[in-house]
Amino acid sequence: MTAVVLDGIVLGLQLGLLGVGLTLVYGLGGVLNLAHGQFAVLGAIVIARMLDASFSLWVAIPVGLVCIGLVGLLIDLTLMRPVYKLRGEERVLLGLLLMLGVGTIIDGLLEWRYPIEALSIRISGDPVPILGVSMRIGGLVGSGIALVAGAALFVFFRFSTFGRATRSVIQDEEGARLCGINPATVRTTIFALSAVLAGLVAIARAMTAPIVVTGGVRLTILALIVAVVGGLGSVSGAFLAGILLGVVSTVSAFYIGSYITSIILLATAAITIVFRPSGLLGHRP
Amino acid sequence: MTLLELAGVEKHFGGLPAVAGVDLKVNEGEILALVGPNGAGKSTLLKAISGLQPPTLGSIKLLGKEIAGLSAHQTRRRGVAMVLQTPRTFHSMTVRENVMIGAMFGSSAGTTSAPSIADRANESLGFVGLTHLADQSVDTLNLHQQRFLELARSLAGRPKLLLLDEVMAGLNDTELRASIDIVRLARDQLGVTVIWVEHVMKAVMSLAERVVVLDFGSLLADGQPADVMRNPKVVAAYLGAEIQTNG
Repeated sequence: MTAVVLDGIVLGLQLGLLGVGLTLVYGLGGVLNLAHGQFAVLGAIVIARMLDASFSLWVAIPVGLVCIGLVGLLIDLTLMRPVYKLRGEERVLLGLLLMLGVGTIIDGLLEWRYPIEALSIRISGDPVPILGVSMRIGGLVGSGIALVAGAALFVFFRFSTFGRATRSVIQDEEGARLCGINPATVRTTIFALSAVLAGLVAIARAMTAPIVVTGGVRLTILALIVAVVGGLGSVSGAFLAGILLGVVSTVSAFYIGSYITSIILLATAAITIVFRPSGLLGHRP
Repeated sequence: MTLLELAGVEKHFGGLPAVAGVDLKVNEGEILALVGPNGAGKSTLLKAISGLQPPTLGSIKLLGKEIAGLSAHQTRRRGVAMVLQTPRTFHSMTVRENVMIGAMFGSSAGTTSAPSIADRANESLGFVGLTHLADQSVDTLNLHQQRFLELARSLAGRPKLLLLDEVMAGLNDTELRASIDIVRLARDQLGVTVIWVEHVMKAVMSLAERVVVLDFGSLLADGQPADVMRNPKVVAAYLGAEIQTNG
């Protein structure tokens, strides 16, 4: 049981980081990025292609992250412009449809050009005993990446000037504008950051399981579940939900069967919406 | 010296004019009350000046420079701060952090250094008498305190012009007196010019040095408070009833 729970925490940290990117973009502009998982896969495939071309991991990773960040930046500066001019449900629906389209295009292009490409990162080293369980080094490094990224995000949002501006826009866009903050600049920067975070999740995940070109939709669904359970707009909520759902996922896969895991996760999100619409740590408006 | 000059300012919603061609000059250091019946276009005019709802037509100049059409964050950085009737505070932050946001981003003097931001935030909190609540969450403040917090957040950016939209509505007598004192102090000590939309006539008569009356989006009267309130056109605009100025 301990091994299953520890595996769940490893998975959960990655899920948390995945959910953070989605929740930030939604919190800032009301756009549900249904291409978030595809961003992760796109970043992974860029890295995999560079590794195939004999670049070192230390070159491939930054290049992959920069590429996916630029894709996010480009999408925000083009497709998202008309979305942010709308308000309420219209904004949510147009954003959702456009990002669904972007995800479909990324899926199609990757399956067409690189159908058998995958990113798998092997970290050499002996398993490390934790609570009497031998943990694979890849899982620990992947968890370390998620933890460091989570801590960096915490410090960024809590103490940096731009982080404070981001929190202000999430909480009250009009109030932020009255304070001299430009919400458009904040949204664009965070959209690009969210894409980079998706790429980082792909890197962490690739240390325990290969990232394949068809994996984007599943990652998007997982990000959506984590963001809903954690509370849309809540960074700490996304991490908490990620860990809880990671443990639920591995425990249910181990004791019941992996076929039922997705249903349990979706049911968790549905129950959360019914009984706690603002999520675990989200703020009810 | 003229701080703000409006010329032919109009704001339309769905083709209907909420503000219908307002011309107005406001001098530096004035405390000007903007009054009028409900739906007269007072708050809309303030929002047009602040950039929250840019005007459909007309010119708005701050110290001779055009600001009509700028967004709210841009006008704030040029020295126009606004406090709305419903507080727009940031609930996950402390009182001090809220004010620091105003000092960080809303300064008309450009980028502000970190120590200076903290100093300004503390100074502004002291100015409105919220120093003792600086480290508390905003959620613990009552409406009156939240409005003072917004005032501190505005003043922390050292604005030239402060726009107040019915910030004294719903206050008891003690809170009203405190609010009047703080607005007057802001003008006297910080040199801020104030344009202030208000329905509480007791406050208007006590604080305003000049009263401008709007009706159906147009300027109806402009002058000393006592003179304006006796103006027959103003009385008629308020449904023909004599305006109660003694609370």
